[in-house]
Amino acid sequence: MNGSLALRTWAILWKDMLVELRTKQSFSAMVFFAALVLFLFGFAIGPDPATLSRLGGGLLWIAIAFTGMLSLGRTFQSEEVAGGLDGLRMYPGEIRAIYLGKLLANFVLLILLEIVLVPVAAVLLQLEPWGRFPLFVGITLLGTFGFSVIGTFYASLTQHLRARELMLPLLLFPALVPVFLGAVNATTLALAGDPLDRIGGWVRLLISFDVIFFVVCVWIYPLVLEE
Amino acid sequence: MSRIPGGEPAVRLEGIAKRLGWTWALRELDLEIERGSSVVLVGPNGAGKTTLLRLLATLLKPSAGAGEVMGIPLQRGADDIRGRVGLLSARGYLYGDLTAVENLQFAAWMGGTRTDGRSVRSALSRVGLDHVADRRAREFSSGMQKRLAFAALLTRPLELVLLDEPYASLDTDGIRMVDEFVGEWKRDGRTVLLATHRRGQAVSGADRVAVLQSGRLRRFCLPSELEPGDLDPEEPEPGRPESHAEAARG
Repeated sequence: MNGSLALRTWAILWKDMLVELRTKQSFSAMVFFAALVLFLFGFAIGPDPATLSRLGGGLLWIAIAFTGMLSLGRTFQSEEVAGGLDGLRMYPGEIRAIYLGKLLANFVLLILLEIVLVPVAAVLLQLEPWGRFPLFVGITLLGTFGFSVIGTFYASLTQHLRARELMLPLLLFPALVPVFLGAVNATTLALAGDPLDRIGGWVRLLISFDVIFFVVCVWIYPLVLEE
Repeated sequence: MSRIPGGEPAVRLEGIAKRLGWTWALRELDLEIERGSSVVLVGPNGAGKTTLLRLLATLLKPSAGAGEVMGIPLQRGADDIRGRVGLLSARGYLYGDLTAVENLQFAAWMGGTRTDGRSVRSALSRVGLDHVADRRAREFSSGMQKRLAFAALLTRPLELVLLDEPYASLDTDGIRMVDEFVGEWKRDGRTVLLATHRRGQAVSGADRVAVLQSGRLRRFCLPSELEPGDLDPEEPEPGRPESHAEAARG
């Protein structure tokens, strides 16, 4: 990454995090919504520890995915309020900095959400992530990164559509299937202690899709944004 | 900054046309602007002034024709052009939840300048906003926001400055400030292209006036050669200096 790309990426990340810190609108809504999703699922499934343990990984990722949509929907909202993406496009340098900055802002916001969400999930769903905690954290980071990579790309793609709130999840969720497949299975195995040592395959799948999607999205992003 | 060397014009457009949806915003536009000059773009609403400025800032691609900005082809050199061209848009591109200092810091970083707080505050001081440097932009009046957008231009080294309705929302002091900046940029050898739909403002002090109507260049001439029908009949605001000519000469 050259210095100019790094500086612009940093500028967008800094600006978006500062705006979020000032308003706290997005993060507060995300935490409340994620906790509500987990509570409702926990309530519907009941207190059986075996069932909760079996479904816990999936439920956690459902909460992250639904909540992440709130964050993605707002990714380019601050630009719209400021007058549109032209405000970023009129500067020189790699246009990919816009994507990378927005991607990192989404990633950081989701990680902050998960720091709050995981203890809540541990209580509501009786999960035990502490046994293989470093592995659990690694899987969560990989899954969140994959979600942010694809989500930020599709949020940019749909920002000018009239029905973007509808189109974003319609387009995004099918594209996220490989990432969620790896993340849910790896998380479930990590929570269960992975007695048959099958987790490696899912983690490799997750890493592969993260790398492929990241390279493809970064590569073609200028085509999405240029007129 | 010394006068910018180089023989080629700052802007050269040949047969430029731009279609926005079903409408032709610009048609068969030929225009050549000398480096270091100031050109005022006049015409009624919808004449194509903003479209032309956005095209020169490479935010739009021409639908037909060819053009160069600072000797760089419009079609292929967007990144190089953006490094030399600054646009003051009517939209402002300011973030209401950031303070004035933070907005300028962001603009400087996006422009590729690793600036310190002192130069940012100096830019604020030049537009008369140093006393509200740490206030959020959403608390500013529209005139103060216009001044802040102007300060963002000052954080970058530019060769061509594009100003879209720079006088809108400004008070008498603000209008004078714009004229002084235009004069200063001209003295530094920079090229200024200023779009306005109002009569009198900056027109008589410009090197050339381009009259746009329905997307076509109706006239490109000296201010003294303008005909009565070329300008919007609206009267200039009372108390406003007639032009930036005095500043440019000073």
